[in-house]
Amino acid sequence: MNATQPAPMLEARGLVKRYEDGVLALDLVSFAVRAGEIYAMLGANGAGKTTTINIFLNFVEPTEGEALVDGIVTHKDPLAAKERLAYVSENVMLYPNFTAIQNLEFFARLAGKTEVTRDECRDVLRRVGLQDDAHAKRLKGFSKGMRQKCGIAIAILKDAPAILLDEPTSGLDPKAGFEFLNLLAILRSEGKAILMSTHDIFRAKEIADTVGIMSAGRLALQRPASELAGQDLEQLYLQHMAGHVERAA
Amino acid sequence: MLTLIIEKEIRDLVSTARFAVTFGICSLLILLTFYVGARTYALQTEQYEAARKEQLRQLEGVTDWSSVRSARVFLPPQPLAALVTGISNDIGRNAEVRGRGEANPQDSRYAEDPIYAVFRFLDLDFLFQILLSLFAILFGYDAVCGEKERGTLRLTFAQAVPRSTYILGKLVGSFVALGIPLIVPLLIGCAILPMLGVPLSAEEWLRLAFIVASGLLFFGVFLNCSILVSALTHRSSNAFLAMLVVWIMAIIVVPRTAVVIAGRAVDVPTVDELASKKSRYSAQLFAEDRMAMGKFVPSNPTGPQVMQEFNKFMSKIADERQKKMDEFSSRLNEERVNMQRIQEDLAFGIARISPVASLSLGLADLANSGLDLKEEFQSSIQRYQRSYGEFMVKKTGMNPGGGMIMRITDDSDREKPKPIDPSELPVFVFQPETLSASLASALPDLGLLAALATVLFLAATMAFLRYDVR
Repeated sequence: MNATQPAPMLEARGLVKRYEDGVLALDLVSFAVRAGEIYAMLGANGAGKTTTINIFLNFVEPTEGEALVDGIVTHKDPLAAKERLAYVSENVMLYPNFTAIQNLEFFARLAGKTEVTRDECRDVLRRVGLQDDAHAKRLKGFSKGMRQKCGIAIAILKDAPAILLDEPTSGLDPKAGFEFLNLLAILRSEGKAILMSTHDIFRAKEIADTVGIMSAGRLALQRPASELAGQDLEQLYLQHMAGHVERAA
Repeated sequence: MLTLIIEKEIRDLVSTARFAVTFGICSLLILLTFYVGARTYALQTEQYEAARKEQLRQLEGVTDWSSVRSARVFLPPQPLAALVTGISNDIGRNAEVRGRGEANPQDSRYAEDPIYAVFRFLDLDFLFQILLSLFAILFGYDAVCGEKERGTLRLTFAQAVPRSTYILGKLVGSFVALGIPLIVPLLIGCAILPMLGVPLSAEEWLRLAFIVASGLLFFGVFLNCSILVSALTHRSSNAFLAMLVVWIMAIIVVPRTAVVIAGRAVDVPTVDELASKKSRYSAQLFAEDRMAMGKFVPSNPTGPQVMQEFNKFMSKIADERQKKMDEFSSRLNEERVNMQRIQEDLAFGIARISPVASLSLGLADLANSGLDLKEEFQSSIQRYQRSYGEFMVKKTGMNPGGGMIMRITDDSDREKPKPIDPSELPVFVFQPETLSASLASALPDLGLLAALATVLFLAATMAFLRYDVR
């Protein structure tokens, strides 16, 4: 371990995932995300981004290798690993008959924040940009963007050291997308380790510290964002996408 | 965490429109059941009292006990049988007792009013069987797969939630949330029973409590089964379809098939076959007695005691004939009862594959309206028949057994005879099964329900531990 660098909060070590039908979803994927870092995983559909996140959440077990959260192997001690993880899915689905605050209270308590108050919930909802008049409304009338904000609020309220974001900006309008990036920057400054899967190369290059491009289950490229000029990243991404399409064909 | 999940489950279920509908339907039907039961009981009590009075009225003006050919006994209405009818409407409600011979219950409610037999009565057994099982399915079929479809399962298990805690919370939460629409109207129904003129003894209240507990146990079986199926499927439509098949099999197919199989496997002689055999044997005995009557020679053919002597002779040969007939009937009846028991055991054994059979049998035992009711009524009739026969011998010097007797009356200047006192007739006492005996009968079925609920819960837990929550 480098003496100047802290231990990774999120780490993939040689992850291989072959499903029962023989499909190789991940092929020796390794990366690390440290506290105060944002790692953007780019890639086409089926590239292996969600499978990687699923392994971190212990929804699937790796065929080989291991995923670690704060040094804890996820498939060996999933509950301890999840205590250190917050998660926002591509399409946040909450309890439609509960209000935004009730959903937040429930998931916060489920995450161990038993003392969470309604005022704290309101503060977080304001922080993610959800209008006050929506706080006490049932989720059944919420748009995708509003639900996404609630999902992010749940992740913030959990105050976990590591955050997994699976296509978090999908479905957000430009303003909400911009606000979300600002929020990520704040979370990074608070020392959170953030692993984000996305198709959005523009936002990725804007916010990420490290960018990984996944193609057909492999981490085809991994570079610090500072080493990538905007034009380069687009070209690289498109090149790997083309490779992915050829391999899939 | 368990409390949190239970609380969430209750809140989630209670806030749905289907809960409101469930609560409304449950309340309406349960209260209606109690009302109908109470009215039925009141009506039966009225009919029972009227029939008893009519029986005594018919004896008014009779001056000689030897003119009384029989007495009619009536099955007193049972308050709980109005709530769990069991077979109480199928068996006869009265019997003619002659002092000897066979005395069988007759005039069942369904025989008298066949309209009630078409759709049967609304009772707690029916409500629990149909309503509770359907509601358990309605609220349980998407407990797991529905959350997966809605996407909430993924977010839940992104937290450090043990699966066993989650599934236990689901079960307890659903059970409590759905128990409310059941318990509230049940308690109201129980409270209005005395107001509707149904007095329950302490023992009957206890029986009612066991009946309600059995219903909840049955509900637990179907809820666990629904959650199991939900944890084995990934689409709520598939889970619902599977539970519909389970429901049809459990409620309709298994109990009926069990009866058909047992009916085919064990041949029980019919009542008609027995009647035919008894009739043939009786005719044979009569023929023998007619020959004996032809040989009757009075000790003094011209004396005044001829008729008395003839009656005594007739009584003697009637007693002997009846004794032979009783032995023959008793043997045939016993054979039939034994075969019936074998058939019933087989039918109930197969039917108990379905929890519905266990529920029905257990409830009927607890309400004292099960198969034992017929035997208890029959035993009470037989006991009364003996005391009635002894009473008639005491009053008339013989037991006429409902047969003909010949009398010579003398209308000369005798004092006008006094009417008999009908209240001297022995009182018919129906001895229902004691609570401990009912519990002993119901316990295997309730135990079976509890065991099934436990097994289904464990199976649901096992299935959920391997469930793909993505």
